[in-house]
Amino acid sequence: MTDSFVVNRRAVVAGLGALPLATAFGRPALAQGAADVPLGMVLPFSGATGSYGPAMKQAADLVVAKVNGAGGILGGRKVKLFIEDSETSATASVAASKKLLEVNKVELVGGFWGSPEALAAKPVILAANKVQMLSCAANAVTEGDTKGLIYRLQAKSSQWGPAGAKVMEKIGAKKVTVLAQQNPFIVAMVEPFKAEMAKIGGQVMDVVMYNPDQASYRAEVEKAFGPEPDAVFVLPLLTDMVSIAKEIFRGGFTSKVVSLGTGADAEGKFLQAVGPEVAEGIYHLQPSPPIDSPSYARFVKEMGAPEGTVFLFAGNAWDQVCITVLAMEHAKTQEAAVWTKSVREVCNPPGEKVDDVVKALKMIRDGKKINFNGAGCTCDFDEKGDSINRSFYVQLIKGGKNTPVGVVS
Amino acid sequence: MIAYLITITILVCVAALVGLALNLQWGLAGLVNFGVVGFVAIGAYAAALLAPEIGWLPAMAVSAALSAAFSAGLALLAIRLEENYLAIVTIGFGEVVRLVILNEPWLTNGALGIADIPRPFAALGDAVGGDAVFLVFAVALVALAFVTLEGMARSPFGRALRAIRDDATVTSALGKNVFALRVRAFAVGGAVMGIAGALHAYYLTYIDPGQFTPIVTAYAFMAVIAGGRGSNVGLLVGAGSIMALLEGTRFLKDFITVIDGVQLSALRLGLIGVGIVLLLILRPQGLAPEPRRRTSDVLPDRTTRS
Repeated sequence: MTDSFVVNRRAVVAGLGALPLATAFGRPALAQGAADVPLGMVLPFSGATGSYGPAMKQAADLVVAKVNGAGGILGGRKVKLFIEDSETSATASVAASKKLLEVNKVELVGGFWGSPEALAAKPVILAANKVQMLSCAANAVTEGDTKGLIYRLQAKSSQWGPAGAKVMEKIGAKKVTVLAQQNPFIVAMVEPFKAEMAKIGGQVMDVVMYNPDQASYRAEVEKAFGPEPDAVFVLPLLTDMVSIAKEIFRGGFTSKVVSLGTGADAEGKFLQAVGPEVAEGIYHLQPSPPIDSPSYARFVKEMGAPEGTVFLFAGNAWDQVCITVLAMEHAKTQEAAVWTKSVREVCNPPGEKVDDVVKALKMIRDGKKINFNGAGCTCDFDEKGDSINRSFYVQLIKGGKNTPVGVVS
Repeated sequence: MIAYLITITILVCVAALVGLALNLQWGLAGLVNFGVVGFVAIGAYAAALLAPEIGWLPAMAVSAALSAAFSAGLALLAIRLEENYLAIVTIGFGEVVRLVILNEPWLTNGALGIADIPRPFAALGDAVGGDAVFLVFAVALVALAFVTLEGMARSPFGRALRAIRDDATVTSALGKNVFALRVRAFAVGGAVMGIAGALHAYYLTYIDPGQFTPIVTAYAFMAVIAGGRGSNVGLLVGAGSIMALLEGTRFLKDFITVIDGVQLSALRLGLIGVGIVLLLILRPQGLAPEPRRRTSDVLPDRTTRS
């Protein structure tokens, strides 16, 4: 007995020793120059939504390099960006946010592609009195007490639904069915879609919900397309849309397909995954970045993407950094509780319109009133922190290419 | 840094409770439960739904009771099955729970999840600062579970469970009611998993079906295997090291600048896998293995015999 106890005690000590080791890992990060302004982002790199993270990271890194290259903010201080993996998990995103807040002392926790991750991290970030910026859609995040610290750069779920109905009207679809994934972003758009369809005299024949990560979607696809509606409103993310599109193609259904940019575009990844034949004839909509503006064209070029690519989320990450540095410059402090009051000052009209962050910083220093327009949206916020003036960009996949159909709002 | 470590320690406490429960079921009694996450989810949702109605402590008690009841029910149905088949049934159970939670929005709010779950000691926590009070509560819960389960493991009940694990037929021949003992072990484990779920819900204050994926089960098994199957001390060490590994790797990219975040997130999970493989090769019995009695512990030493 005595022998085995000794082994136990050693092992316990060894195990406990592992914890401070994690602390030791943290030291180099703390050893950054005191003048740096730390910002953080929680982005998905692994798990079901892992494919959306890298482009957001690329955009955020680019804009940070740009700001630092032009001399930084707050009188020559550099911006330092820390990015953590959300693992597409609410629990992991809480640990990640806590690490950013407590170890890296960030003033902004941005990113947040997924609503569950944002909802779980919200109380942690608000308790620390720091700003949370979102690229997710669930209405609940900006509901309740936000302490004026939350900003959403993406359209809300309840804005996507009616936009879908307007697309249906545009393509002349009266009788429709809905095929939707069970996830917080999508579930919240079904009711507003039904309400808008009723308003424009259409009829929603059936709503088919499916679970994420299914091996096959054949049963659900057949149920939704079975009654031969004029069109099916397919509400997916990327991985399931790839399977669903193949299933629709295989079944030879004639109903039109209207889908979301999150699934049927995903910054071009959908077309790459299924090929032109399967993708032919699918309509999709997404909250539009300012497609025609020179700043957006420049953004696409800097991202190294082909001209005309619609970036749905990378632009949000870009804008999150821009808004933060502009508000800090305006408030003349890195203190989140203070500069959050400057966000609407630099983003909302009135003011001189500007889309280049370096130019905007200079204008703020010169004491000008600016109205910043970003790469992902116009960056105007209502009192809850939701972005206003969202219009949706509708495209049709034709001959292996996204072709513009129009804008609905 | 301190507040971050507190968060991690609370998450370790949740993982340790789940692990302790699994250690009773699988480590001690040899019952493979791959549906761990289902019982944790039942506990979490019961606590989240009931806490605003009846207060957090009664809600936690109900989570434990409900999860124990489901455990006992599943055990009554399936415990006679042989090891591998029990594993399959419990996997199925875990999935059923997740799908019910996802698809019954009238009860669970479906995919949107439940937000604003009241947190115990929130007012007190604000006064002292941070989550320190909650941490004390979580550690106390783990201590309580540890003492109770360790007591059980040393009691005749625990000895009977070990005997069943090593050879059920022999135990049965010795007059023990194998079936009843197994059901009891399963139910007690279920109760502790329910409490772990409630603690998880109270700490995060937001739960959704996405938090209750099979990875929770995998982490629990990793903790039991890393620590040493059947050893409660080992379990605490195992749960602590797994979390240290998971969170510690977050810091890699802050000081190795050659790797960027995208590569690191893939590398992290790979490193954890390598860590576990190495552990199993170098220390298959676990970090703090179950103490085994030798003949000399029971029989008088031959040299001292007169």
